[in-house]
Amino acid sequence: MKEKDGYAECPEQQVILYVEKEDGKYEAMQTGSYISANYLDDYFFKRNNLEKTLDEKIRKGEINAIEYYMVLEDLTISELAARAGLMKWIVKRHLKPGNFSGIPESALKKYSVVFNITVDEILKRQAGNRK
Amino acid sequence: MIIENFQHRMAAHCESGSITSLLIHAGMKITEPMVFGISSGIFFGYFHKMKSFAFPTFIVRNKPGQMRRNLEKRTGVRFYSKDFKNAAAGQEALDNLINKGIPTAVQVDMFYLDYVPSWERVHINVHFLVVIGKEGDVYKVSDSYFPGVVDLPVSSMNTARFAQGSMSPKGFLFYPKYVPASFDYQKAIRKGIKKACFYMLSLPIPFLGIKGIRMFARKITDWPSLARDTEHLSHEVMKINILLEDQGTGGAGFRFMYATFLQQAAEMTGRPELKSFAGELMEIGDGWREFSLFAARIGKSRDLGADKFKQLSMLLNQRADKEESFFKRLSKAIH
Repeated sequence: MKEKDGYAECPEQQVILYVEKEDGKYEAMQTGSYISANYLDDYFFKRNNLEKTLDEKIRKGEINAIEYYMVLEDLTISELAARAGLMKWIVKRHLKPGNFSGIPESALKKYSVVFNITVDEILKRQAGNRK
Repeated sequence: MIIENFQHRMAAHCESGSITSLLIHAGMKITEPMVFGISSGIFFGYFHKMKSFAFPTFIVRNKPGQMRRNLEKRTGVRFYSKDFKNAAAGQEALDNLINKGIPTAVQVDMFYLDYVPSWERVHINVHFLVVIGKEGDVYKVSDSYFPGVVDLPVSSMNTARFAQGSMSPKGFLFYPKYVPASFDYQKAIRKGIKKACFYMLSLPIPFLGIKGIRMFARKITDWPSLARDTEHLSHEVMKINILLEDQGTGGAGFRFMYATFLQQAAEMTGRPELKSFAGELMEIGDGWREFSLFAARIGKSRDLGADKFKQLSMLLNQRADKEESFFKRLSKAIH
């Protein structure tokens, strides 16, 4: 790739590309991320829609707050179980919408560490959709 | 304290970038493409169904950690490396090294790095960064993906170093404990290229190497049936571009960086034929970029009909053909 073809304007996300300079040498070039420069608005549009859809599903009782964050963070049940240090069958049980109130505080704490939020945020996510 | 004489450098990739920065700090004259090439970093693997991935994905580099081990074998560099059972022991060891003035690379889950923008924060347990200081409850971090040194609270560092799940870091850290005054570049480059050709051509596993690109070409037409809805499909298709161009590859899924390695190798070994291979791989990389830009375009426009997936499949098969021919001839030329 020629140097001029690799250039993108994106101060928020800089990357290094290896490009062909004018003298024919291949060297590193610091530039903006092409995908962030051109498609970040679309990423946030889809992310907001996904959050709304998942919130609606909690409200309807189709999923609970644990599944909300699991889907949002692209985790599988196996991966969530491994990250939380819980057995897979226990996570499956916790994911059933009706079982949310039975999830022990210790398990909620483990999920909150994985999702990098507080237990309170998980509870609010669940409760906010029950109104 | 902060290790003053450590020079922060941006790099295309986190692992090769961290290794390069540490080796240069230790007195070795080496570039990131040379580290990547000698350690046979170029690769391809397609994963259609795995317990740890919510959607099919692919990789374009060898297994994390292999770069460091291959480099040790081929250059004589020796790394000190260690993992830990708990965060307290991991933090103590890291702090001791920093206090001794040793810049140290650590493996982390990128999701917990506060300085990373929200849209880049995903659960990836194999991100590498170099810790170059600590002031109070904050580590000074040289992360190859950022233009300058960044701050990371101790609590976030511990969470990131001790995240669980597939390929969990277990607090892993490393630094070069021995760097040879010189090594046989000719031999190291030859071995690096030979092994890369083996990885791409001869692994008897249907989803790795060139076979992996062909499997990707076959399976990508199934993607619409695996997505939750159109926006999910669009997100996954656009991730092709992120994985090839954005997520620390130097462009075109490491093909541009490997071409740079071949050009540097031609000069260092006095083998001009490697220069023409470098030019050819740059062109192959342009084709990968065309593929990834096409994926981004159809993803954003939601133009995700079966014809578009057939086109993606065709572009992938073209890459497989080109790379198969390329690595076969490179393998012969290097013998």
